[in-house]
Amino acid sequence: MEYFLSLTITGLVMGIIYALMALGLTLIFSILGVINFAHGEFYMLGGYMSYFILAVVAGLNPFVAVAVGGLIIALIGLIFELGFLRPMHLGHIERPAEYAILITFGLSFFLQNLALATFGPYPHRPPSFFEGSVDLGIIRIGADRLTASLLALALLAVLLLIINRTWIGKALQAVSQNKDATAIVGINPLRMNTLAFGMGVGLAALSGALLAPSFSITPDVGAVPSIRSYIIIVLGGMGSIPGSILGGLLIGLVESFGAGYFPDPSRALNYKMVFGLVIFALILLFRPRGLFGRREA
Amino acid sequence: MKKFWNLFLIAAMLLAAVPVVAAAPPPQDGGQDYVVVADDWLSKLSDKFLGDVLAYPAITYYTNQKNAEDDSYAQITDSDVIEVGWKIYIPSSEEAQAYFAGQTTTAGAMGGETIKIGGFGPLSAPGSYQGGTEMRQAAELAVDEINAAGGVLGRQVELIFGDTEGLPERGTAVTERLITQEGVVALTGEYHSGVALAELEVAHKYGIPVVFAEPWADEVTGSGYDEIFRVAPSIEFYSSIASNYIAEVGWDKIVFVTEDTDYGRLQGEGWVEQLEALGITDVEVIYADPATEDFTPILQRIAQDPPDMLGGVITGIGNSRMLRQACELGLAPTAQTAYYATTDSQYPEFWETVGDCGQYAFFTYVGLPKSLWNENTEAFMATYEERYGQVPGGVAMEAYDSVYVLLKAMEQAGSTDAQAVIDALEDIEHTGVLGKIWFEYDSKNPVPADQPAWMWHQWLTPNVFILQYTEAGQSVDEAAVTYPAERATGSLYTSP
Repeated sequence: MEYFLSLTITGLVMGIIYALMALGLTLIFSILGVINFAHGEFYMLGGYMSYFILAVVAGLNPFVAVAVGGLIIALIGLIFELGFLRPMHLGHIERPAEYAILITFGLSFFLQNLALATFGPYPHRPPSFFEGSVDLGIIRIGADRLTASLLALALLAVLLLIINRTWIGKALQAVSQNKDATAIVGINPLRMNTLAFGMGVGLAALSGALLAPSFSITPDVGAVPSIRSYIIIVLGGMGSIPGSILGGLLIGLVESFGAGYFPDPSRALNYKMVFGLVIFALILLFRPRGLFGRREA
Repeated sequence: MKKFWNLFLIAAMLLAAVPVVAAAPPPQDGGQDYVVVADDWLSKLSDKFLGDVLAYPAITYYTNQKNAEDDSYAQITDSDVIEVGWKIYIPSSEEAQAYFAGQTTTAGAMGGETIKIGGFGPLSAPGSYQGGTEMRQAAELAVDEINAAGGVLGRQVELIFGDTEGLPERGTAVTERLITQEGVVALTGEYHSGVALAELEVAHKYGIPVVFAEPWADEVTGSGYDEIFRVAPSIEFYSSIASNYIAEVGWDKIVFVTEDTDYGRLQGEGWVEQLEALGITDVEVIYADPATEDFTPILQRIAQDPPDMLGGVITGIGNSRMLRQACELGLAPTAQTAYYATTDSQYPEFWETVGDCGQYAFFTYVGLPKSLWNENTEAFMATYEERYGQVPGGVAMEAYDSVYVLLKAMEQAGSTDAQAVIDALEDIEHTGVLGKIWFEYDSKNPVPADQPAWMWHQWLTPNVFILQYTEAGQSVDEAAVTYPAERATGSLYTSP
């Protein structure tokens, strides 16, 4: 039982962070209708940003570095949306769906190679939030990871409040439902697009910065989290915020239990991602629009 | 009327085109002189006259040959640059074929041109680009030093380094390009075994000598190809050092988490076999994707019945991730469970990424610990650090020595001819940064029937040691050499 509980805790701790990252992707998809293939690279940049802020400003609180790093990446996201995605929504691009795939894919390659050229190939790790481990009785867990998870939980709560209780949140929801109708009632969908992209990549960057002390960073560190995020958002229902959160937690738990209980231990870790994919396939089989997906109009 | 004009124009264009088509000569029986005009480039001319866009090195070669006798011919130093008005020589098909058939036997006569050698290794993901970058830097340093000292055979050496991305298919393509398009006369480098196994087939096809710097698979030299030499240890030799060490310390229950690549699998299988032969049968190998972020669930599983030794054999970032997570979980390194890390632990970033968790970790090191440095090693370490701002690891030492071995053989051969270089490599004795390098078993002294096939063209005494960090923050130079005993500088194992 203790073993089961310890695996549950490990799965939930990771699941919350997965959810935060997937939420960014889902926000971008639901508002802009674009799959951001460079999401993993913004995760990577978030980690590097907090690393370099702490390297340059000695003695700075690591939490401030995470926040500032996330904000800088969100600003970069805003600029990218204005320069490269807005023309698509203005009807300046002939085949917008293909364009969106190509431009975000291109950005992904560009950022990964830029990071390799700028930051070098060696792994880096920003200083810990808190050193050592926390003993929860049934399991010892890295203090950095626990901190990252609790902060991710707080961020998720704040985000849900913004989305559900503020004017901007309601405007974002409205745009995700019907762009023309929101334009009629005086909400500028283009501005909401820019805001959603900035917020989305900012969330990816915050996830990267929160996990960097636990997992370290290299230029290709975003590849696995981004694939996992795509799985989570499809699993939860494309564009659904509660779906992303539940999907993140589910994948976290399935990966943890899979590695912990798979009969052949030599394969257990290797199949970790596969366990998530099996659940993904099963849910899509019985509920093709995902856990919380909207019915197509 | 308009229709008539259109027809007339089409007819005129066709007439204008016909002489051009007719004038394009079929592959020639005898060579010819040609004066470069605007919009010419060599591959275009080779396609036009020889029927093959890739045959341009033959034009370069024969033109330079003519230039040596008659300076009215241009000298082509870079096949990508030709000027309008240059007189060049287009060889006949037979001459071009003769050139390609014996390309490397005649290349030595190309006075004045630089000697091109090829390097290959992973410089981007999914390859282990940390190792590849270090390899390229060390190889460039060696070439620059050799050029500053007058080059080889009185000519400067150019290193063309191809990124193989850690993918066998890229390795094949890069090797093919280096040989057929860049015209390299020899090759060196490579980090990943799987890629090396693809590359050596291409090198063998063209008869180009290769001195491999870092791939460990037994099959590399076990291929038995004349062209293939290796300075790195074979996996059997490398794994045996850790196996013998484990037996020496007396651990009984062992768990390895190894990356699911040829590198990890070869080691995992080797350890199980070797440890069993040494009487240690409780050995478990768990495979993991090298990009795994979170090892915690499997570590929790291992912690249910902690082993005497836990090995985390994941290259790149996975090395520090797993060690840190095992440490956070309180599993290893502890008094009960020792921790064996990968050879990547030699890099300074190790401490940044694992923090104090790295204390008491031990690892296999391929290279020369400071206590065994010779004057070449000292000079190399200082120059490399000054130039790149980074302390080089064992990979850099191997890559650096490989270039020296290769170019020294070329100098001794007195030619860039492939067979002459291979013969010279068989006779080479070079004291490099790793010590004295030579290849024991070769065409004159074949591998005995009772010895493994990988000993062919293999440096039999590569430096492989077990090092342990007994203090947090130690550099690889300060780490204790714990095994083999005759060269140890510290105790066999220091427990937390």
